[in-house]
Amino acid sequence: MIQQVTTTESDQTLDAPIAPADHLVGKSCRRVDGQEKVTGAALYGADLFPNSAELFASVVRSEHAHANIVSIDATQALEVAGILGVYTHADVGGTNIHGLIRRDHPALASKRVRYFGDSIAVVVAKTERAAKLGRDKVAVTYEPLPVIATMEQAIAEGACKLYPEGNVMGDKRIRKGDVERALADSHVVVSDTFFTQTVDHAFLDIEAGTGHWDGQVLTLYVAGQWVHEERRLIALALGLPVEQIRIIQPVTGGAFGGREDISIQIYLGLAALKHQGKTIALRYTRSESMRARHKRHALKIESTFGANADGMLTAAKIVVYSDEGAYASTGIAVMRKAASHATGPYCVPNVEVDVYGVHTNNNPTGAMRGFGACQMAIAYEGMMDRVARALDMDRETFRRKNLIQSGDTVTTGQRIDPVSVGLCLTKAIQKFKDQPYPGSDHLPAHIKRGWGMSAICFGLGYGDGFPDCSRARVELSDSGIATVYTGGVEVGQGLLNAMMQIAGEELGLPFESMRIVAADTELTDESGSSSATRQTYFTGNAVRMAASELREQVLDIAGIKLKVHPHEITLQHGWAYETSNSNNRVRMEKICTEGLTRGYSLKATALFKPRTIVEIPNTGQSPRAFITYLFGAHVSQVLVNIETGEVKVERHIAAHDVGKAVNPQSVEGQIVGGVAQGLGMALMEEVTYRDGRIMNPGLTDYIIPTIKDLPPVEAIIVEHDDPGGPFGAHGVGEPPLIGAVPAILSAIYDATGKAPCELPMSPERTWRLINEVCENDPLSKVF
Amino acid sequence: MFHQPMTFEHALDLRSELGTDATVINGGTDVVVAMNHGAIKPTTFIDVSRIKALRGIEKQNGHLIMGAGVTFADLGKMHFRALREASLSVGGPAIRNMGTIGGNIATASPAGDGCVALLAMNAEVQLSSKARGDRWMPLVDYFIDYRKTALADDELIKAVRVHNNPRSRWYKIGKRGAVNISLVCCAISQNENNKTELAFGCVGPIPKVAPKASALLTGETLTPELIDDVANLVTHEVAPIDDQRGTATYRRAMCSTLTKRLLTQLMEDAPKGDADA
Ligand SMILES: Cc1cc2nc3c(=O)[nH]c(=O)nc-3n(C[C@H](O)[C@H](O)[C@H](O)COP(=O)(O)OP(=O)(O)OC[C@H]3O[C@@H](n4cnc5c(N)ncnc54)[C@H](O)[C@@H]3O)c2cc1C
Repeated sequence: MIQQVTTTESDQTLDAPIAPADHLVGKSCRRVDGQEKVTGAALYGADLFPNSAELFASVVRSEHAHANIVSIDATQALEVAGILGVYTHADVGGTNIHGLIRRDHPALASKRVRYFGDSIAVVVAKTERAAKLGRDKVAVTYEPLPVIATMEQAIAEGACKLYPEGNVMGDKRIRKGDVERALADSHVVVSDTFFTQTVDHAFLDIEAGTGHWDGQVLTLYVAGQWVHEERRLIALALGLPVEQIRIIQPVTGGAFGGREDISIQIYLGLAALKHQGKTIALRYTRSESMRARHKRHALKIESTFGANADGMLTAAKIVVYSDEGAYASTGIAVMRKAASHATGPYCVPNVEVDVYGVHTNNNPTGAMRGFGACQMAIAYEGMMDRVARALDMDRETFRRKNLIQSGDTVTTGQRIDPVSVGLCLTKAIQKFKDQPYPGSDHLPAHIKRGWGMSAICFGLGYGDGFPDCSRARVELSDSGIATVYTGGVEVGQGLLNAMMQIAGEELGLPFESMRIVAADTELTDESGSSSATRQTYFTGNAVRMAASELREQVLDIAGIKLKVHPHEITLQHGWAYETSNSNNRVRMEKICTEGLTRGYSLKATALFKPRTIVEIPNTGQSPRAFITYLFGAHVSQVLVNIETGEVKVERHIAAHDVGKAVNPQSVEGQIVGGVAQGLGMALMEEVTYRDGRIMNPGLTDYIIPTIKDLPPVEAIIVEHDDPGGPFGAHGVGEPPLIGAVPAILSAIYDATGKAPCELPMSPERTWRLINEVCENDPLSKVF
Repeated sequence: MFHQPMTFEHALDLRSELGTDATVINGGTDVVVAMNHGAIKPTTFIDVSRIKALRGIEKQNGHLIMGAGVTFADLGKMHFRALREASLSVGGPAIRNMGTIGGNIATASPAGDGCVALLAMNAEVQLSSKARGDRWMPLVDYFIDYRKTALADDELIKAVRVHNNPRSRWYKIGKRGAVNISLVCCAISQNENNKTELAFGCVGPIPKVAPKASALLTGETLTPELIDDVANLVTHEVAPIDDQRGTATYRRAMCSTLTKRLLTQLMEDAPKGDADA
């Protein structure tokens, strides 16, 4: 993907004064990809079809949630007019396996299927219709196995094992202090169990792309979240050297973790290898997308918190069961993030956390915005409200007593400095109280209003000793245009602008002089994934470092031209001038042409690779589990119809410390979007299964919020410089969702006097909570 | 083949000629969805959306007659409160601009919001065929079983009518604020003779009336005690099921809750005259 700002005619003639310092960092520069997106010119995966597709692929999927494959018979499929081939595991040249952490997921199942979306064969045909007709004619004979539909079934004695090792995928623990004793000595001890639901990413841009093999290079246009890692996984599965694979990210409409696992890449690659010289196209329907893709983990969280009479937390004992579905996906890392965020931004001296990942025949579960930390925030914030009530203490006061301060440690033992969670909470509550909601105070008796709050933290990056790093390259051309090269993918979050603005700021260039090349494995170096809220921090740092290196060359050349020492030169708006005499100046173009003739490379690369420290397995303790921590606080106000259980969010305030907002408008966009997605999780979104089969694989019954459900979100950007971030920035992607859900639940608690513990709080669940109705409980079918 | 008759007579000709071989389509908001899901695979269409005569709304002898092609956007501007609110609760603006009341009645979904509002208003539906001409029938008799109706293979829905402007109330419970499929919906109307009708959506295979509850109310002045009795009675008149949208337990309880709430509104608003017009 190559993006360039459309340049307007320069007003900078030689005599004109230099435009005032134009700080790109902190400015809402117009999105470089904005115009093409709003005009429809942008080419998303499925938009590539009309011009390039020559052949079409379709995927045969399991009709069972759990079964042995007895035979695969393509005879009838091959008789369908237009069918060119049906390919199974036997046709895959490599390991035929993928998986980001554990390689356990067959690209095409050979012996056994473990979920309803497992893929078995790829059909290639001249038309998309023929490919689908052929797909439906592939005859697979199964020997059904018992379906493990719930975690309870999975751990029951004598349960059918999904893997030889059993159904427990793994565990994570935190051990700090003496929990039993601290609980025994506590003034109050409060317990509750939370059930969070399975959530789908529901990005609008359904999986779609093309693949082409020219005999030398396999080129895939498929949206992912980490093109270089995807290339490695595809190479392994297909048995090609990575050098022979090129991935180019098309314009991408949302990811939210849903593109982290391999989706259509291997099918496309296989089909392309079998049909050299032809461009193969493959796209899912919404229902196939939901059937195939991993989901957010459903968690059962058993929480016990103790506090002393002064309102200080004494201990937390937390046991989590996580529905991992059929394959590991990123589940191990999600479990770890859940464990390390189990007590959030609170000082709890004694902590015991056990997280168990349990395999079922549901869809694999993996990355989704919040990554385990989101579910845990629902529980710890829910517990803060409950313990405060048990102590008969104000919710805010209780939180403030226990929130970590700069220099305190979180539950992993990591010392955090600076900490801004208290500041975020102050700002959110201040806004709530100072600018009261304009709505009427006269409510009918069956409508109750309530408000709630949340305070959250989030460890940025992969953490835990994983070699997390980003590379970047910045180049200047002889026309004074700077190009940023990054392997990072733009999924809608604003990565392109952020990287261009950071480089432009460092080089003293106007935004119009910036260009970016991103997420093409041939043209760019690896920049890690667009996930874990890490790109602004990681790739932002790499870009800044490269730009800073390049700046040295520019100053050096400018020094020769201006006959002054490089340290006496200011770069501003495309000019270099002598700091004390701005008439002694030279334009960037001139510097670049001069530099090139003098043999300067006008290029610089950088690697940003800060270290984190792996946890001690038995205690989960690590002095630096995450590179940095992000903080936020929300206030939400709801109306609850206590007769019907309907909940309406009237007002939502979200304060997030982003270090420095590189592009404030993008930051606000992330906050509003995160609140919208959080509102969906809190009130309506839920993948429902029956015996491993998704009952609502489409947006008719997988309910996501509309504009009518979302109040105007009041975003408060808190800027508390992060000493390790580029220009003090760190990131904002995940925290807004994490903060939104518990704040809404807290408001429901306030309105109804009943503490919610099941998600989503649909009208029926809210009504059941208020009226304490257990009969015929829909929850029993899930956990 | 895509037939696009400009007159209702031509449409009836085509319908009698093609019968079930052709799919009638108006706004397409149900038909196209069914095609996308592969539930139907039509090859021939009779598109009735160009027939002007189907799009009229007129008053005649104390009746309001609405052509089958009247859209929910049109109905959303009307004075009949339950029908207006039901119409405005359908889908989003785009769906309301395309979706028609005739299509809603023909689809006969138990969640059909228009059907429920009209049922409570004692509506009648006009069915026409080339061979047998027009017939009016009470909407309540039109719904037979799950997606099974009185519409014959050579018939089209021409219009639907409501007598006078009864006082009416409407409420729909769904999971979100727009493009919102009913979990339960309820409509209530009361005419000048205090004849009160109740209708429910999503509580059985068809949009459902509650005749026993209506009988209990007929001719009576609303009192809190009477309302409680009726609210209890309706739970025995509905037969909701569990599905992934909600449980029977909840739906049954909501029938009672909504009955009570809407009747109470009628009672409390009574002195205000035609405040609901
Ligand atoms: C996103 C979305 C949201 C929706 N939300 C709601 C909602 O909230 N509430 C609700 O009730 N519905 C809803 N619907 C369903 C749909 O919009 C309504 O049922 C609408 O009334 C259908 O009208 P139509 O003109 O589009 O029908 P079409 O799709 O054109 O036809 C529907 C059926 O009626 C038949 N038909 C149409 N006209 C005639 C006629 N004159 N004579 C005989 N048969 C005829 C067709 O053959 C077909 O069987 C929604 C649909 C969508 C896609």
